[in-house]
Amino acid sequence: MRFLPLILRNLGRNKLRTGLTGAAIGLAVLLVCFFLTMPAGIDVFLSQIASNVRISVHHKGGLVYQMPFAYVNKIRAVPGVVAADGVVWFGGAYEEAGHVTFPSFAVEPEHVGAVWPDYHIDPAALERFRRFRDGAIVGRQTMEKYGWKIGQEVSLHSTIWPVTLTFRIVGEIPNARSPLFWFQREYLAQAIHEHGWVLSIVGIVWVRIADPALVDGVMNRLDAMFRNSPAETAAETEKSFFASYFGSLQGFVAIILVVTGLVALCVLCIAANTASMAVRERAREIAVLRAIGFGRRLIFGTLVAESMVLATVAGGTGALLTYAFTAAVKLAAGGWSTQLGPLSGFLVSPAIVGQGLLLAVVVGLVSGLAPAYGAAHRPVASVLREVF
Amino acid sequence: MAEPLITLRDVSRSYERGHDVVHALADVSLTIASGAFVALMGPSGSGKSTVLNLLSGIDRPSAGDVWVAGQRLNDLSEDALAAWRARHIGLIFQFYNLIPVLSALENVELPLLLTPFSRAERLRRAETALRVVGLASRARHVPSEISGGEQQRVAVARAIVADPDVIIADEPTGDLDARSADDVLGMLRDLSREFRKTVVMVTHDSRATHWVDVVYHLEKGLLLGVQPGDAERRA
Amino acid sequence: MSGLPLSYAVRNVRARLRRTALTIGVIALAVIATSVFLALITSLKRTLVASGSPDNLIVLRKGSDNDGSSMLSYEAYQVLRYLDGIAAQPDGTPLVSAEKVMQPFARTRAGGRENILLRGVDPIALAVHDEVHIVEGRMFRPSAGEIVVGRGVAGRYADADVGADMFIGKRTWHVVGIFESGGTSFESEIWGDLRDIARDANTFPYSGVRMKLAPGTDRQALIDRIDRDPRYALQATPEVDYYAEQAKSAGTLYILLVILAIPVGVAAGFGAANTMFAAVQSRTVEIGTLRALGFSRGTILRSFVLESLVIALVGFAAGAIGTLFVAFLLRLALGGIAFGAQTFTINVVTLRVSPRDLLAALGFATAIGLVGGLLPAWRAAHLRPVEALRKA
Repeated sequence: MRFLPLILRNLGRNKLRTGLTGAAIGLAVLLVCFFLTMPAGIDVFLSQIASNVRISVHHKGGLVYQMPFAYVNKIRAVPGVVAADGVVWFGGAYEEAGHVTFPSFAVEPEHVGAVWPDYHIDPAALERFRRFRDGAIVGRQTMEKYGWKIGQEVSLHSTIWPVTLTFRIVGEIPNARSPLFWFQREYLAQAIHEHGWVLSIVGIVWVRIADPALVDGVMNRLDAMFRNSPAETAAETEKSFFASYFGSLQGFVAIILVVTGLVALCVLCIAANTASMAVRERAREIAVLRAIGFGRRLIFGTLVAESMVLATVAGGTGALLTYAFTAAVKLAAGGWSTQLGPLSGFLVSPAIVGQGLLLAVVVGLVSGLAPAYGAAHRPVASVLREVF
Repeated sequence: MAEPLITLRDVSRSYERGHDVVHALADVSLTIASGAFVALMGPSGSGKSTVLNLLSGIDRPSAGDVWVAGQRLNDLSEDALAAWRARHIGLIFQFYNLIPVLSALENVELPLLLTPFSRAERLRRAETALRVVGLASRARHVPSEISGGEQQRVAVARAIVADPDVIIADEPTGDLDARSADDVLGMLRDLSREFRKTVVMVTHDSRATHWVDVVYHLEKGLLLGVQPGDAERRA
Repeated sequence: MSGLPLSYAVRNVRARLRRTALTIGVIALAVIATSVFLALITSLKRTLVASGSPDNLIVLRKGSDNDGSSMLSYEAYQVLRYLDGIAAQPDGTPLVSAEKVMQPFARTRAGGRENILLRGVDPIALAVHDEVHIVEGRMFRPSAGEIVVGRGVAGRYADADVGADMFIGKRTWHVVGIFESGGTSFESEIWGDLRDIARDANTFPYSGVRMKLAPGTDRQALIDRIDRDPRYALQATPEVDYYAEQAKSAGTLYILLVILAIPVGVAAGFGAANTMFAAVQSRTVEIGTLRALGFSRGTILRSFVLESLVIALVGFAAGAIGTLFVAFLLRLALGGIAFGAQTFTINVVTLRVSPRDLLAALGFATAIGLVGGLLPAWRAAHLRPVEALRKA
């Protein structure tokens, strides 16, 4: 600590170089943190949105195949099932923002609260959802992306059903990672009735189980119930459902990680370059310090500390700026994206900032090691010989 | 005479420079009494700076023993030498003495950072040392803001602040004008006389003979001769 | 006295190679990071945009944005088939391909489960989609439960080998061939017999229709004709435009690339600037001498800028090799990179570094060198000779 003034003064020796290096480190850490929000998006999605007592029941052959709506009541009768909600994919596109899509489903409103209590939807909103045929409950990610408010009317045109429907937003799912758009099954049924069709199918049935221990048993029971019927089912936990869904993104995530690794390496080289330049220029001074009795370990320590102070302060600043930066990016490009799914949430967590800070500390440490060691161990006499 | 403070016995020092081997010192033996003001003189390449490096433990002899204040320096490890140096030796160089980013006071404080003294105590001692060399008014200035002569006096202050046994000066007046050189030499003589410090100085300056007690002549790594200085005349 | 020769700049770099090595490394790493990402995006774009024939139309139900979500009746197909302007085979058969698209589950070789695009077609589809060619095995026989798989599918999904039985969706299919289409998105599809797949789907017979236009046909007129038909709500789009539209949703990726490239470039520029500033500092006397000898400020400036460009070029060369290497390793480790498609299936993209990507990298490295070297060079040029020499 008593050497801190010396360290700081040395950093201020060449303010331009310290500034340039600090800015580079800060920028790089900011970038790394930003990109780390992407794979974190999947993990958080799985841990925050998926529940361990909720399972999905869908056609064994694929989500493109439908099941008879009658299945839902049969599922409700199974012991261990607390509630079930049959949903139908709507494939809605919001034309006003340029034909953008987000996951939209026709659901059974009276069962939403029982199947998704962990979504913490306002009970008053659920009540309105039950009451108003054209009501809609929307996830916060989509609400924020398009600036929607409760009470607002929005129109979605379906890409698979020959209808365009106008909804009144009556509530939100208060989770910034949820892009969902839910409305009443009955509303869709009425709309397609005008084309002479009947809505008799269901795409996925979401089921809430009473206890985690019962989950496997119920899943087996359900699949057995519908085996050998025209629509064989596959029940799976919600986590497994989403993991499969996003499993395909692993390749892209791998590239993100490779790229951030390269950026980290790049900034390490920048810091190492600066550290070695600084030490080289001060060869004489370091020799004088060692001559008057500053031991090798002390010289080594102060030089490494110098590198670490710069990297930690600069990198820490960059890590904290991630919040502001991702907020700006979200304005431009956040929200659900077809290519990226949950990767485009760009939400920062303290864990990510912590990782950025750790990177900064490591960069400071590693970049300073070689020059500091060299300076501390070069024979003092030979340096003095060269210089004096 | 009392037990000499410094003894070199059959000391040799060689090192490699590219493909050649340079014999900086060959079988040199000398003693220096406690409290003496000694000059080592000779043409360049004579090995006088090497003697200083060996005396202060910055360098190790290839052969022979170096004794300072009862300690055989060969017995100490690299790190132990550094610690020993901090306590027993004060160093002054020809140039590049001072850390440019530190003020005069902070420069003088440097050796004290290696002691257990508190911050307040360190500053008090540093200020005292600066006062001794007459530069208390320059405490807050950085080296670039003071003259060459003043920088050397700050270096002297730094050399004495930790109360060492020996002050070692390598060409302290080499870069100075006549007036400043006299100031510095006078200061070193006072340290020897009044403060009972042993001062060993390497110099080209022939005027130095008027200030010192003993002059050692070296040439090509060999000790040629010893003669008393003319210090008595100035006393 | 005119200019300093190029060799002056080059030799200075060589003399300080160890010191500039880290800076070269910085530029190389910056180049690799951005080039790999850029190559990924251009590979994706190539897959999406290159898909489609310029003389084809795709007809879907009005309001559908992809042929996985569209529905088209048998009657509508019969009407479309005999419209004027459609190309025909020598025997008179219209080059119209009725297709049924499904997205059943399939298992990947890695054990994951994904939606796969299963396209039910008649053999005429090969004539309408003229960029698609069977390269291994043969085309399927009608109503035989046989399928052909695209190159991307063959690499990614389990049992997608010629001669193997592949379980897709509700039943097993027999793989009889592999097709390629020049790296376009068709290679992420499986093609099977139209009737087999319609039976499997159990809904409307067709998803959409693709048609090839005869040379000289007024395309817009035909599009309007289809659009205005009061009996069926249909829309026709040039196939190329249809796929280009799908590529637009990759916009987020471009933004990410810019977000990556700019800070990395700036940071690398700072790193390069540091090195150049140090070079200027250590050569102050030399510069002073040159100025005293009569070399102009502009000459000194140019020489230092040149020097930083040389560093940047060496960095680019190292980075280009590194990029090819990293891309190769990624291809080896990951196979195709999967992206979500509008159809909720997967576009399998092969990561390939194209010459254009490397050209962009060259521009990037040059920019870094210029930005990093300009200010130090300016400072070098404006050193006063007398001050510089005094330091000697």
